[in-house]
Amino acid sequence: MTRQYAIIAYWLLTAVAFIGAIVLVFTWTPEESSMGVIQKIFYFHLPVAINTFLACAVVFVASVGYLVQRDTWWDDLAAAAANIAVVLCTGVLLTGMLWAHGAWGVWWTWSPRLTFSFMLWLLYVVYLLVRSSVESAQRRALVSAVFGLVAFLDVPLVYLSARLLPDIHPGQIALAPEMKLTLGFCMIPITLLAAGLICTQYKINKLRRARQLQRQEQFQLGVAPTLAGGSL
Amino acid sequence: MNAINHIAILVAKDLRIEGRTRQTMGLILILGILIVSVLGLGLSSNPQVAALGAPAILWVAYLFSGVLCFEKTMAVERQDGALAGLLLAPIDRSVIYAAKLITNLLLMVTTAAVITAVGLLFFNFSLAAAPLGFVLIIAMGMIGFAAIGTLFSALVSSTRLQGGFLAMIVFPLILPLVIASTQQINALFNSSAQTPGGTGLAILVAFDVIFLVVSWIVFELVLEP
Amino acid sequence: MMLAPPISQTPAAADATPSAAAAVCAKGLCKTIDDRPILRNLDLAIPTGQFIALLGANGAGKSTLLKILSTLLAPTAGTLELFGLSARRDAASIRARIGLIGHQSMLYGDLSPLENLVFFGRLYNVETPRDRALHLLTLLGLKDRAEDPVKSFSRGMAQRVSIARALMHDPAILLADEPFAGLDAPSTAVLERVLRNLHDAGKTILLANHDIAQSLRLAQRAVILKNGEKIIDAPADTLDADHILFRMERDGA
Repeated sequence: MTRQYAIIAYWLLTAVAFIGAIVLVFTWTPEESSMGVIQKIFYFHLPVAINTFLACAVVFVASVGYLVQRDTWWDDLAAAAANIAVVLCTGVLLTGMLWAHGAWGVWWTWSPRLTFSFMLWLLYVVYLLVRSSVESAQRRALVSAVFGLVAFLDVPLVYLSARLLPDIHPGQIALAPEMKLTLGFCMIPITLLAAGLICTQYKINKLRRARQLQRQEQFQLGVAPTLAGGSL
Repeated sequence: MNAINHIAILVAKDLRIEGRTRQTMGLILILGILIVSVLGLGLSSNPQVAALGAPAILWVAYLFSGVLCFEKTMAVERQDGALAGLLLAPIDRSVIYAAKLITNLLLMVTTAAVITAVGLLFFNFSLAAAPLGFVLIIAMGMIGFAAIGTLFSALVSSTRLQGGFLAMIVFPLILPLVIASTQQINALFNSSAQTPGGTGLAILVAFDVIFLVVSWIVFELVLEP
Repeated sequence: MMLAPPISQTPAAADATPSAAAAVCAKGLCKTIDDRPILRNLDLAIPTGQFIALLGANGAGKSTLLKILSTLLAPTAGTLELFGLSARRDAASIRARIGLIGHQSMLYGDLSPLENLVFFGRLYNVETPRDRALHLLTLLGLKDRAEDPVKSFSRGMAQRVSIARALMHDPAILLADEPFAGLDAPSTAVLERVLRNLHDAGKTILLANHDIAQSLRLAQRAVILKNGEKIIDAPADTLDADHILFRMERDGA
């Protein structure tokens, strides 16, 4: 029972942190001179981007874990983290595009940052597609693990190669101290959200696998699965 | 060394089969030429654009014919379970990888040579400024591409899905190769380009080394009779 | 109806020579695929030179067991030793002494039998592979088609070439996974003859088969698997085909 309370408390904390972050971003933090309100997207864009990378790192660790130990819970973890990585990365792309539109009037440009976000997004979307395409559970885990391993090793190369592309906005934005504080604070709700989502998805994956195993065993024993699990 | 001997035996076997049927080479050559032709036709009213876009267009052709090549060279092993025969032999698994990689590279290089010649012709792209540089960059791109392609073609060939699946897996992974090589070629042939010089080459080298090593190590785990 | 012989090993099977000379020594083999147990805690000891028939319904685990014995698959748990060599550490040395025939021919259809055999022979470091290949092809009645591509062969003939492939390196153990499936009468006769000759020459043979009567006729000892477990392990001449069938089908699938 305490576990349920812990989970509720966790999500409450996340919600509160979010509200706090939004309040902070829109009231306390000064507006950036050149870009205006749109720049405030940055306070969410960067934490989401960092968490995307962390989620991809989890996929990597889980992939290696599976390849070495062949325990299915590594596979469940990798799938969960990849799911969240794609969700987060979609957020990075969308906020990046919003920013690009706000700052330079174009929805898309092959700038290093946008291109990198896009290529990262592609990599992990393909990871999910690979998973949904292989039927055998064991084969799926193996193929995903190898892809998860290789994809993460590819990320630094993706980053470096994206940097070769001509940049539409040279130079960094100078951050006032209040801005750095706000940025740091915004990391909290977003990281909590990401971690919470990964854990939730992980549990869902484990449950799904257990249920499928149960159904398989019932089928093997010749027992027809009843809807409510009652006796035949 | 015994391993090199085994690799040579395996590559000779692949080439002998290919020489007899000529199936793979024919298909990937035609596919590559067709892709170049489609793009050449599509851009025929814009010859300057075509010339500038030549490296990227060539990469598209390499990618699609390359993936087909990797699929077919691995399919040979799956047909009557010959791969199991290889796995039963007292040879290192990594020898199988090295041999397949070399076979793929040999077929791809030959195909790329023809496709490139046709492409340069259609797009009026002259190599005169830096012919060796061009060849070097493309070659390094090929190596990385084949390293990844060979690994994953073995990994997915036992699943029932083919057509497009391997392409879907390999393309996102080798995008750094495409970017680095096209940027580098641009820098070589367009003195007005503002990209930083040697980094593209460094990325190509890093990519090749990292993924040759990783594929070599991981290949052991991916084979299944 | 004959009473079931005890499941524990009968004298012929328990004639276990010390580990170093035993062809196969498997203890507690378990194999799980896709979270489903295929083999459960299997023990199997095979002295050198014995001919064993491996029987069981589809899905009983015969193919999986053979793949594990040939080191193609690793067991999830348990130990396996062949000729005293550990399957985990010395897999390559073990593979040099094993020949496997399966459902598929494991040949390259575009090459001729001769090319196939020479290829595999060279991988096994066979001396004068070409001579050995011709010798085997002659023994199996395929000499006059030695240069035709294997894909033009009937299943029976392709299987014969596959047998030659498995024998190129003169393995001490032959593992055969339902090799008679889909064979015509002449090829069946050839294969039976080959198995008998190999047995007479002192080779250890493990034959997974569907035809119970044929297996009891050919083999010295029969091991019956059901749901990944050994339910019968006894000399072939003490067993009755009907009884085996009954035991296999009892308790439903």
